[in-house]
Amino acid sequence: MATNDPSVLILTSLASGPKHGYALAQDILGFAGVQLGPGTLYGAIARLEERGLIEPAGEEARRRPYRLTAAGKDALDDTLAQLRAVVDEGTTRLAQARRQPRRRVRARHA
Amino acid sequence: MSADRTARFLVRLYPAAWRARYGAELESLIAETSGGRVPWRTCLDVARAALRERLRAAGLTPDLPPAERVRGGAVAVLSAWALFVIAGVGVQKFSEHWQSALPATARTLPGAAFDALVVGAALGSALVLVGVAAALPAAVRLLRADAVSLRRHLRAVCASTAFVVPLTVAVILVAHRLTERQRSGHDLRYGGLVLAWAVVAVACFVAWTALAVAIARRIELTHRVVRLEAILAAGTTLTMVSMTAATAVWWAALAQRAPWFLTGSARGTTNVSPLAPQLVLAQVCMLAATAAAAAGAAQAVRALRAAR
Repeated sequence: MATNDPSVLILTSLASGPKHGYALAQDILGFAGVQLGPGTLYGAIARLEERGLIEPAGEEARRRPYRLTAAGKDALDDTLAQLRAVVDEGTTRLAQARRQPRRRVRARHA
Repeated sequence: MSADRTARFLVRLYPAAWRARYGAELESLIAETSGGRVPWRTCLDVARAALRERLRAAGLTPDLPPAERVRGGAVAVLSAWALFVIAGVGVQKFSEHWQSALPATARTLPGAAFDALVVGAALGSALVLVGVAAALPAAVRLLRADAVSLRRHLRAVCASTAFVVPLTVAVILVAHRLTERQRSGHDLRYGGLVLAWAVVAVACFVAWTALAVAIARRIELTHRVVRLEAILAAGTTLTMVSMTAATAVWWAALAQRAPWFLTGSARGTTNVSPLAPQLVLAQVCMLAATAAAAAGAAQAVRALRAAR
């Protein structure tokens, strides 16, 4: 699961409340810097709705808003936990890697 | 083209069911994000997404359940077989009386290749018919319960069949009154009639195939039938591979010994290209159909293994 995965971005965007396609695209561009094309966006919306993770929140045919379902909130929670674990692990390893060259340098001078 | 018109056109690339659910929203979003003119990058994005939805509707994407992927693979083989049959009929028509072009001693290789082609055609047809027969009870149940959703296909089948049957009778009756020379392209009216018959016959065959594909996508199949369809799809693909190879061998043998036959030149003419356009077209169609069938059969077999 990547941070630029359209499904994760849509679920994250909907976590702050219902949005229609255009608002979703603008919000995602704002918080992630990712420009989702209309085809990619609606492909992901269709998959998420099929999996029961989001649902329509209104009846407007041309600007239908979507919202997270309970299953969608759980799925986003799981995904963020996975991403957090990767971020934590990466941060720890990077910190170790930054400390190691200094030790080697000290060892060479000793 | 204005953004609204481009958006309408792009949305039409999607399957009808998807369009009915998301079409209006997507059209509105394309127009909203495009200003006066839809950028080519957006066109590409939507076209790619539409292709993905079409492949998904055909059961050809990996995110579907195994049973759907087996069905999608088998349907792909069925569609590829239809194209292969049309190309094969072209080869059959083109190759009529090829034996007379070669002395008996030179017929061994092309004869074996041609026999392999005929045996492959019979075997492939038998496998497809077994597949159709296995799915027939479920198809009949579907037609009884929901013929309305198939009315467009049923109408096309009835109309094309209603044309092709009397036209076939007319071609046979006219052919019986003509000499062999007149039947071999020397009678313009008969040639026109045969051409019209060929067009209608191909349209009829395509309509029947489209109906079969539409039914195959909707019917409920037992695990046993799904498994059988996957095996038959693999078998049909193997016959297509062997027939494509056999056609190439037959063609190469004739190109070497009697290239004049391939171009319709006078007997014994040398320095003619063996690349007869009809044969090139038929072989390209056979290759394309075989490749599509191989992809479909591979998916069906992989999905079958995954389902175990």
